[in-house]
Order: sequence, then C-alpha cells, then structure tokens
Amino acid sequence: MVRATMALPLETLKDRAAGDALLARFGLDLDCALLVGDGETDWLVEIGRGEVVRVTKGPLIMPKTDLRLRAASEAWARFLQPVPPPGYHDLFALRRYRRIQIEGDIRLMSAYLFYFKRLFALLRAPSASR
Amino acid sequence: MILEPVIGRYLRLELLGRAHRLYVEEAGQGIPLLCLHTAGSDTRQYRGLMNDAQLTRDFRVIAFDMPWHGKSSPPAGWQSETYRLTSADYTRMVLEVCDALALERPVVMGCSIGGRIALVLAMEHARRFRAIIGLQSGATIDPYYELTWLHHPQVHGGEASAAYVSGLMAPASPEAERWETLWHYMQGGPGIFKGDLHFYRGADGDIRERLGAIDTRACPLYLLTGEYDYSVSPEDTRAAAERIAGVKFSVMPRLGHFPMSENPALFLTYLEPVLAEIKTRG
Repeated sequence: MVRATMALPLETLKDRAAGDALLARFGLDLDCALLVGDGETDWLVEIGRGEVVRVTKGPLIMPKTDLRLRAASEAWARFLQPVPPPGYHDLFALRRYRRIQIEGDIRLMSAYLFYFKRLFALLRAPSASR
Repeated sequence: MILEPVIGRYLRLELLGRAHRLYVEEAGQGIPLLCLHTAGSDTRQYRGLMNDAQLTRDFRVIAFDMPWHGKSSPPAGWQSETYRLTSADYTRMVLEVCDALALERPVVMGCSIGGRIALVLAMEHARRFRAIIGLQSGATIDPYYELTWLHHPQVHGGEASAAYVSGLMAPASPEAERWETLWHYMQGGPGIFKGDLHFYRGADGDIRERLGAIDTRACPLYLLTGEYDYSVSPEDTRAAAERIAGVKFSVMPRLGHFPMSENPALFLTYLEPVLAEIKTRG
C-alpha cells in the first residue's frame, strides 16, 4: 500500500517562517512543541522564542508536546488552496466543521492564535514566490 | 486630504435604568438607517457605508457604540460587575436609542449579534421599523470554541478575541480592511466580547421556535449572509429563513462575517438593491 503524502509542505516550514514579520509581531516569547498530523504521519514543530527552530518528521517516539493539531490529508489539501473554499480557509473553520482535532494547551494556543494561524497560512503560498 | 462627512456626538441618556454616555455617529440625510455593530466591536465597522456618497444621499446612516464598547462608557460601578448582554437588554437599548434620537420608523440593520437582535426586533417590534436587515443572522449557534480564554489574566483578550474572529472573513477581502476590522477587536474592553456572546450563546441563545411569529407584512425582513462565515454560515441563515414566511434571504459570495467592514465596496453592491426596494416601498 502506498501511504498518502502529508499535504502540508512541513519540510519547508522553517524556511518559510524565517524572517516573517507577522510571526515576529505575534510570536513574542513563544516556546512551543507543536505536533501536526494528518492521521498517517505526525510532525513535530519546535518553536523557541517565536522562531521555528526544528521540524521533525515522524514516526515520533513518545514526543513531549504542548499543542496537537490533526486533520485528514484531504482537509489540509483544501486548506492549502490559494483561495480555499468556505469551511476550509482557516484553522477555526476546520474546527467548526469538526475537520480538525485541537488538543493540548488551549491557553497557549489562544494567547498565540495569530501566530499559529499565520504559521499554517505560510504553508499555503508557493515557496518559490516567497 | 479628505475631511470625512461622518459626525460623532455623545448622547447622555437613561438606559436600562442607569445613566449612560453613548457615542453616536452619523452621515447623510433622508431615511434613517440605524446600524448595529458586532459583538466586541464598535461603530467603526460602518465607516465604509458612512463614506459612501450614493448611500448617504438618500439615507441618514446612524450607528452607536453599545455601552462598554468603543467610545461609549460603561455605567458607573462597572468595576465590580461582570458584563453580560441579554436579549431583553439589547432590545430595550435599540428602542431607547431610537426614541432618544427621535428616529421615526427607521430601517434597522445589524450584523452578527446585531443580526440576531434584528430577528428579535422583527418578532417583537416590527411596527416600529420601516424595514429590518439582518447580516449574518442565525437563530442559534454551534458552540465550536471555548470562551474561557477570551477574558483571562494570562491571555491578551484583545489579541485573542481578534484572532478568534479573524478567520471569519473572506480570504479575498482587502488586507487593509481585514486588519482594520481586527484592530477594533484588539481595542475592545476586557471581557466585553465574551459578555456579548453571553446573549448569543447563553440562556436565550436559541430562538428557532419563535421565528414563526415574525410577520413580514408588518415589516419587511431581509437576511444577507457572507459565504465565508462559519460562525453564522449561509446554511444557518437559510435554516432560520425557512421558518419565516415572506423573508428575503440571499447569500453574499466572497464575503464573510463582517461584510460592511471587511469589504465595504463589495458589500454595498449587495446592499444597494435592498435599500432601493425599501425606498420604493416607502
């Protein structure tokens, strides 16, 4: 069986995030171990003082995480479209229609929600255009 | 340089049994069009409408900051209270402001919580209005997020509230208008967005069974909903509209939860035919 590929280009996240003005604006003092999954594979995104310092592709062995966001590949794929359809255009849109599981430190997520939304929106742009 | 035609004043009045100082602004002349802002925001959401020369030629566009919002003060003693909006208080507030400003059968247009109260006004006070327009109106709401963190000492309530609502706008709405809309949320008073949502999600938060009482012959009712809104989705408004005989419902493509603020120019193209019809009916 061929395993589905993670729709989110997480391997490019560190480059995309580097120097981003909005992440700098909203990520003040953020330290977070963020797990992102598609039901098949989990990735660990480590953030230190607002910067993406390491992105690790799973399988992960008992990772220590602060926040875990998991959605099906199909949902992530629609989220990534340049103009996503209604209901797929924002992390909370996915949440409203129960297409994403959000678990962990919700206080941290709420305090830095602009940062997390920006982080995922950065995955939407073609990397060549950045 | 542009000096806008928008004029702001303060209205001192007895509201809900207490002394209040409310900020009211307006532009234009003609049929009064009273505009109600969304939860946790203020009158600036209607800046695009108030600056539209075509609209203000025939309509006197009026908006007020609800108590505790924008430039309106909370009532004296606020420091030892928890702000919680109720349907009854919101209804009385709208009627008392209409009376204080001597508005004769105005058109009322509200968005989000203002869209919900538009339904209540249609139900209970239809004869007071020339027409009622609900933007992003729903009779109930799916509680898809936790309210705790909108007002908590460990979280910046303004940034959290703005971030919570940020995705409700359409991706294609102009960036500057979207961030202006979010700035209003960032400036909200502590706990006020959450207190507004009490009305929306609390004890009187489900009016589905009462919608049949709306008589659109007494007052025309228009419901317009942006397609990208997932708080009150087009399906949510449609479900409400199906219970109301004679209501006019339409979906606004490429708009979200804050049509008048996130993309005023596009919103006006949907609003103008509605206002033209209202003007013709007299």
